[in-house]
Amino acid sequence: MAIFNLKKREIECKIVYYGPGRGGKTTNLEYIFKTFRKQITGEMVSINTEGDRTLFFDFLPMGLGKIKGCEIKVQLYTVPGQVQYSSTRKLVLRGVDGIVFVADSLEVRREKNMLSLKDLQSNLKEYGLNIFKVPLVLQYNKRDLGEQGIPMMSIEQMDRDMNRQLKVPSFPGSALKGDGVGVALKECMKLTLKSLQKELKWAQ
Amino acid sequence: MGDKENIKRLLQEAELYQGQGLLSEARLKYDAASDLIKNNPRIKNKEKLLAGLAKKINLLEVDSQKVERGPSSPELSHRAQDLIQKLFSFSKEESEEEAALEGALALAKFGQFERALAEFNQLIANETHRLVAAKNILRCHIALDSEEFAGDKYEEWAKSDMFTHDQLKTLRVFMEQVLESKGVDRKLTVVGVKAEAVVEEKKEEEFIDISSIGIYLDSGPGKGKVVEFDVNFQSGNLLSLIISKKDGTMVEHLAIDNKLEDLQFYSPIAIFNGSGVVAAKSEIKSGPKQGDYCLDIKITST
Repeated sequence: MAIFNLKKREIECKIVYYGPGRGGKTTNLEYIFKTFRKQITGEMVSINTEGDRTLFFDFLPMGLGKIKGCEIKVQLYTVPGQVQYSSTRKLVLRGVDGIVFVADSLEVRREKNMLSLKDLQSNLKEYGLNIFKVPLVLQYNKRDLGEQGIPMMSIEQMDRDMNRQLKVPSFPGSALKGDGVGVALKECMKLTLKSLQKELKWAQ
Repeated sequence: MGDKENIKRLLQEAELYQGQGLLSEARLKYDAASDLIKNNPRIKNKEKLLAGLAKKINLLEVDSQKVERGPSSPELSHRAQDLIQKLFSFSKEESEEEAALEGALALAKFGQFERALAEFNQLIANETHRLVAAKNILRCHIALDSEEFAGDKYEEWAKSDMFTHDQLKTLRVFMEQVLESKGVDRKLTVVGVKAEAVVEEKKEEEFIDISSIGIYLDSGPGKGKVVEFDVNFQSGNLLSLIISKKDGTMVEHLAIDNKLEDLQFYSPIAIFNGSGVVAAKSEIKSGPKQGDYCLDIKITST
C-alpha cells in the first residue's frame, strides 16, 4: 500500500519484480540503475548468495518528480525467485502497488513461469489482493537467446500460457541488452499511478 | 537430425543453461547427450567423450549442492540491516512502536539475529509489545546461542516480575516445544500454575510455527523422493496442506491413518525431522482450488 504524505504532498509506492529464479529480475533492476540515472535517488542494494542468486531482495529507489502537484517516489524491489525462499517472497510483496512479472522465454522454463505466476497469485491473495485487479505487466525476458538456436517459446505461446485470462500488457524483452526493460517499467508505473489516483484521489 | 547433430545441440543447450544458472536443466541435457553417446555404436572415442561429460556433470553437481545448501542467513552490513529495518517497517506512518517491532521482526526473519536481539531488548520495555519481543528474544537466542541459553533466559524472566503469569505460561510453552523438538531434556519453572495442569495446557497451546514440510515418499510414482509442500494452516500439531492437482499423483497413495516416518519440518527458527500421521485427506470439489487435495498431517513426534 502506497504511503501518501498529505503534508508534504508526497506519494511513495512500491513496485515488485516477481518471477521464477534466474529469470532476469535483478538484471532488469541493474539495467534501470545504469540507464535511468536521472530518476535514481539512491544506491541499488542487492543481497546475493551462491551463484549470484538473490537471497533476500534487491532494492532501488527512484523519484519521478511532480505529477499533478504530488512528488512521486517509487521503490523497486525484486523477490528471490528460488522456490525455497517462499516466506521472503511473501514479506517483500507486502504493501505492493504494482508488479512486473519477469517470465523466462526458454522453453525449458515454461512450467517454472506458470508455477511462479501461481505463487504470485496465492501470495497476493494472502494480502487480500486480487491478481486480476493489481497493476501488473508481463515481461517475456531473454528473447535474445533465440539467436543462439536454443528452444524458445513464442510470444503467442507465452501469452496463451500466462496472459490468456489476465489480459495485462506484455512485452518481449532482453534485460541484459535493455530491450523491453524501460517500456515494461513505464507501463507498470502508469498502471500503478492510475490505480493510486483512483484510490487516493490525489489529483482531483 | 542425426545423433551427432543431436549430441552437439544438447551440449550447446546444456552449456547455455549452465551459463544462465539453470543447473538442473543443464544436467538433463548433459544426461541426454550421455545416453545418446552410450547408445550409438558408431561414435568413436566414446569413453573419452563420456569421461568428459561425467566431469562436466560432476562440476554441475558441486554447483547445485552449493546453491541448495546456500548461506541461510549471512550477516549483513549495518547499512543493509538499517535498510531492512526501514523498508519493512510498514506502520511507520501510524505508530512508531509498531513500526519498530515490524523492523525488528524483519531483521530476525532475514536472519540478522544479533541486531534483531538488540532491537527486541529495547522493545521489551514497552508493555504492549513485551510478549512478542520476549518470544523473539528467545528465538534469537536459539539461533545465536543455544536452546539451553534461551531456557536460562526464560528462568531469569520467571524470577523477575516483568511478566504476568499468563505471559510466562506462553513463553514456557513456546520454549518447551523448542526444547522437545531439539531433544533437550529440561524442565522449566512453572510460575503460578499447579504442575499437574501443565501437561494438559501444553496440548492446547501453540506448537512451533512450521512453514513447510518435506515428505519422504516410500511408494507411488514419486517413490524415493522427498516432496516439499507449504503449510497452509497450522493448529497446534495439526498441519493442513493444499496440494495442487498437478502434484496429486505424488500423494494419491497416502490414506488416512498412514504413518509418515520420515518428515522434515521447516520453521523460521529451525529445520527438524519427525514423524506424523495422515489425519485427513480430501479432494476440493469446488471453487478456484477445485481438484486440489487438502491433506492434514498430525505431528506425532519430533
